[in-house]
Amino acid sequence: MSLAEKYPEEIKRILAKYPPEHKRSALMPLLYLAQREKGYVDNHAMNEIAEMLEITPTEVAAMIGFYTLYHGEPAGKLRIQVCVDLPCALRGADKFLADLCANLGIEPGGTTADGLVTVEPVMCLAACDKAPVFQTQGPDGIAYHENMTVEKTMQLVEALRESGKEVK
Amino acid sequence: MRVVEPVVELARGLATTLRMIFGEKPVTVQYPEEKRPVRPRFRGRHVLKRYDNGLEKCIGCALCAAACPADAIFVEASENTDEARYSPGDRYASTYEINMLRCIFCGFCEDACPTEAIVLGDNYELSFTSRREAIYPKEMLIEPVPPGGQPTPQKTPPGVFTRSVPEMKDSQD
Amino acid sequence: MTELVTLSIDGKQVTVPKGTLVVDAAKQAGIDIPVFCYHPKMEPAGMCRMCLVELGRPMIDRATGQPVLENGQPKIQWAPKLETACTNVVSDGMVVLTRSEKARAGQQEILEFLLTSHPLDCPVCDKGGECPLQNLTLDYGPGKSRFLYNEKHHAEKHVPLGELIWLDRERCIQCGRCVRFQRLVAGEPVLAFDERGRDTEIITNSEPAFDSIFSGNTTDICPVGALTTADFRFGARPWELKSAASLCAQCPVGCNITFNTRREAKSGGRVVIKRVMPRQNEEVNEIWICDKGRFAYHFTESEARLRQPLIRRNGQLQPASWEEALDLAAAKLKAAGKDALILAGGRLSNEDLFNLKKLADGLGAQSVLYTHVGGGDLVTQIGLASGTNLADLGKGDTILVAACDLYEEAPIWWLRVKQAADRGATLIVVNARATRLDKHAGYVVRYAPGDETVTLQGLLKQDKIGAAIREAGNLLVFYAADGLDLNGSTSVAAACANLLIETGHFGRPNNGLIGVWPHANDQGAWEIGFRPEADLAAALKGKTVYIAAADPAGDDPRLAKALQDAGTVIVQELFQTATASLAEVVLPAAAYTEREGTFTSGERRVQRYYPAVPRWAETKADYVITAEIGQRLGLDLEAGAPALVFNRLTAEITAFAGLSYRKLAEVRPQWPIVGRADLYYGGTTYENKQGLGVHLAAAASAGESPHLPEVRKGSGPRPQEDALLAVPVTKLYDLGVTVRSSVLLEARIGLPAITIHPLTAEKMGLKAGEKAMIGLGGHENEVLVKLDETIPAGVALVPRSMGLPVSAPAPLSVGKAK
Repeated sequence: MSLAEKYPEEIKRILAKYPPEHKRSALMPLLYLAQREKGYVDNHAMNEIAEMLEITPTEVAAMIGFYTLYHGEPAGKLRIQVCVDLPCALRGADKFLADLCANLGIEPGGTTADGLVTVEPVMCLAACDKAPVFQTQGPDGIAYHENMTVEKTMQLVEALRESGKEVK
Repeated sequence: MRVVEPVVELARGLATTLRMIFGEKPVTVQYPEEKRPVRPRFRGRHVLKRYDNGLEKCIGCALCAAACPADAIFVEASENTDEARYSPGDRYASTYEINMLRCIFCGFCEDACPTEAIVLGDNYELSFTSRREAIYPKEMLIEPVPPGGQPTPQKTPPGVFTRSVPEMKDSQD
Repeated sequence: MTELVTLSIDGKQVTVPKGTLVVDAAKQAGIDIPVFCYHPKMEPAGMCRMCLVELGRPMIDRATGQPVLENGQPKIQWAPKLETACTNVVSDGMVVLTRSEKARAGQQEILEFLLTSHPLDCPVCDKGGECPLQNLTLDYGPGKSRFLYNEKHHAEKHVPLGELIWLDRERCIQCGRCVRFQRLVAGEPVLAFDERGRDTEIITNSEPAFDSIFSGNTTDICPVGALTTADFRFGARPWELKSAASLCAQCPVGCNITFNTRREAKSGGRVVIKRVMPRQNEEVNEIWICDKGRFAYHFTESEARLRQPLIRRNGQLQPASWEEALDLAAAKLKAAGKDALILAGGRLSNEDLFNLKKLADGLGAQSVLYTHVGGGDLVTQIGLASGTNLADLGKGDTILVAACDLYEEAPIWWLRVKQAADRGATLIVVNARATRLDKHAGYVVRYAPGDETVTLQGLLKQDKIGAAIREAGNLLVFYAADGLDLNGSTSVAAACANLLIETGHFGRPNNGLIGVWPHANDQGAWEIGFRPEADLAAALKGKTVYIAAADPAGDDPRLAKALQDAGTVIVQELFQTATASLAEVVLPAAAYTEREGTFTSGERRVQRYYPAVPRWAETKADYVITAEIGQRLGLDLEAGAPALVFNRLTAEITAFAGLSYRKLAEVRPQWPIVGRADLYYGGTTYENKQGLGVHLAAAASAGESPHLPEVRKGSGPRPQEDALLAVPVTKLYDLGVTVRSSVLLEARIGLPAITIHPLTAEKMGLKAGEKAMIGLGGHENEVLVKLDETIPAGVALVPRSMGLPVSAPAPLSVGKAK
């Protein structure tokens, strides 16, 4: 099913926000839309969006590559993006990332064997006083998890594993 | 008196001659049975070196050809693959010829080479009977495979021999 | 009058037009400011920071608006930091210091940064020897680096961007020239930056990868060896190559190129062409060439080329000597007399065609041009005149492109027309189907197949379009034979000519009719007097045919039959084509790279080309073969140097009067400055020191008033109710004799394919990419199916020169593949 078939109303609403001669401005909201279901933008969606906005698939791919919140490759259902910049590191974010990955049995950037969780190091999330902090990106959108410990995170993952849905 | 002086001088001269003939060791080197060893940094016939594993050091960059003041070197490069690898990296010299009649044995090629592949060795015994014979192709210039190495082309695992120019341990060397 | 600005650069007073960038102003004054990301043909980006200079501007008192004076001179306020020369526009009284201590330090530091991650690849990099990074490091670099090299960034080194271009991500300095070229100049943004910061890399995501026919130009402007061509990979070092000025022989644009040659062991000691590079001619191709011109030169060196004359003995073609072959050919032609027919292709030079015409005239025989695009006699009357430069077109001008897919047929004209449209010219595209020019067009007019002439005739009556045509400052009309046969295109040409004549747009520069011919020198053939024959099969019947540089038997089975029914067939060719296989005498011709000569481009510009490689085997130049046959018939034809043939040509053909090889070799200074010392600025395009060519005078500008041509009434072939109408279209990469020898282009040539409307496909149960059997012209062929919803239903687009017998719109049957 194409994006146009799945979300016709929403696409119309998004395109209406921008003048017709600048259709390409709708690229970013459309990428969020395309990413909603699978957690990444697949080739079909990329080509469809390119055609819709009259730009090339390369330009769409460049946008996906630039931002950390857009993904061109499939990964875990839940992406745990841990900030490892200096202030967070001073509060133990480095160790947090290493321990979390060890607990999940993956390398930083990797995905668990059951395809559920991906842990990625990212740059500053602007919540330095609440470090270790990570951002989750999943089917229900983006959320911040502040003052986390490895135990609390593993509980989150377990809950996700059981219910199949994100637990706030 | 006047008869003795010239005889004395003659005798002295002769004595030196006889001393040289029968006394001193001759300095003549009986080439070709005896050969005088060459000095270090002697510039003789070119040799294309190999690494210990048998891969050729020459990467076909043609810097030697560019440096040569006599335009004696001709290089043609080709692509290496892991199936048929001649040198580390992507590039090797598929044709390498030195015209010994043009070469002035200056050693600029040795200085220019980024991988220390072409060196001027010790061999000075070069002879040829025609101009064509004076053009030494790669087969004549490449040194034999060192012990423990494989002859080229080799089949190598992918991702191992990716660097053409080896890392310089000591930049002053 | 352009406003001028005076500024001081390194103490030198420089006066330039307002709006000039500081870096260009310096270049014009002979002062070099090093750049990487800036290119004179593109908008500046200010990304690489290599052009950092000290800039000072005169201080202006805010209250009075007058310059503040210090010791009688305006006080200069220096910018607190170095500024980029490429993004700053000149202003009066500006002071620029490019070699001050601060500026020098800035240049050194930028190079130091760039070299921290640049790999030590010079010995294995194809760019070595013509590398801006190498040159600028030597001229402006620090000599020593303060950085540790252990932490060099490692990235993929041998990434294919399609089959033609290789990317080395480690060498890339992220200047963005390639990305900006594709977006701004080529209009096909198929390269982009991925990731950010230190991980920034170039990607392409099109299908096929790097889907642009101008991709080779990025390797010219890349300042390092990141983008290189697969064709030239490890070919030779630039200083080992010899250069020969020449012209691209693939399309009527006539791009100026340079062949780089070398004597090689790989080719058995022969001198071979290693690569094609553009040669600067701002009036024709600027500094660009398309990929077909860059990669499709291999036909000149194919092992399949004819090596010696052949004569048919006992039903077999057998090697013969030149004496025997020429004697036999001459005897046959003499016996035929008026019943001879000379069929020439547009690939031949002006000299070759002139000798063929004189031979035909001497025999009283017909001289026929083998082409599917008609109307050349109109172009000779109201074609372009001297002083034409497509770069001068802009706002207020109109360009009409009728029945032509400019992108596939003449890429550099597509590029220049697109650029004219970007500058504000009104572009009107009239075609039965969508083409790549539509995106840039102001008006797109569609017609049903068969209505092309009627639609063109009706353009003046339309409101906005009519006004755009009538009131255009300059009007240029391009036409070809997209979906048409010879008659159709002749009719289109007549309609276009009428538009120009009625609105008075002829006889002056940048106005006129341009035929987008299938070959490089069709225009020359028309000027010299060759004319196409609408019913070639009938014309060939029973005649003694002398065919040069044409393959009618290979294109059309009906013509093959006609040739079999003809009297004697004498073929002068490069390869053993289908036509040559039907011949009684086969004369091997030299390729144009092995001799000199001239081509007349579609813009009616005569340009010279020079020999690049020695003659192949026992071949002779086309005009020499013709002259030697002619001499045996008692005709006085010139067999000496091409310059002598050209002199006779200029004496006899009015349009060429006053031209000479010397005049064609004249050059003028061009902007931007390219050349080996300036390759960091304009790219590795070669400087043009061998000739810019000269425009022919249009008959109209000589004071003659052109007569309004009669336009055929009625319509062309239309699609029938239950049958598909196959219409011929041109593809850039086809199986033509000059293209198929290039192995690299095989994937782009692809398999023969027809394009139909999705509804048609559905009706026939066919899907895109599937194989199908088609019945066309009495022959069955297997093709791939492509879908396009912009073409009219009931029509199937069939590409020419792909082995499918389509020379005119004809009924087509499609069925599933066996």
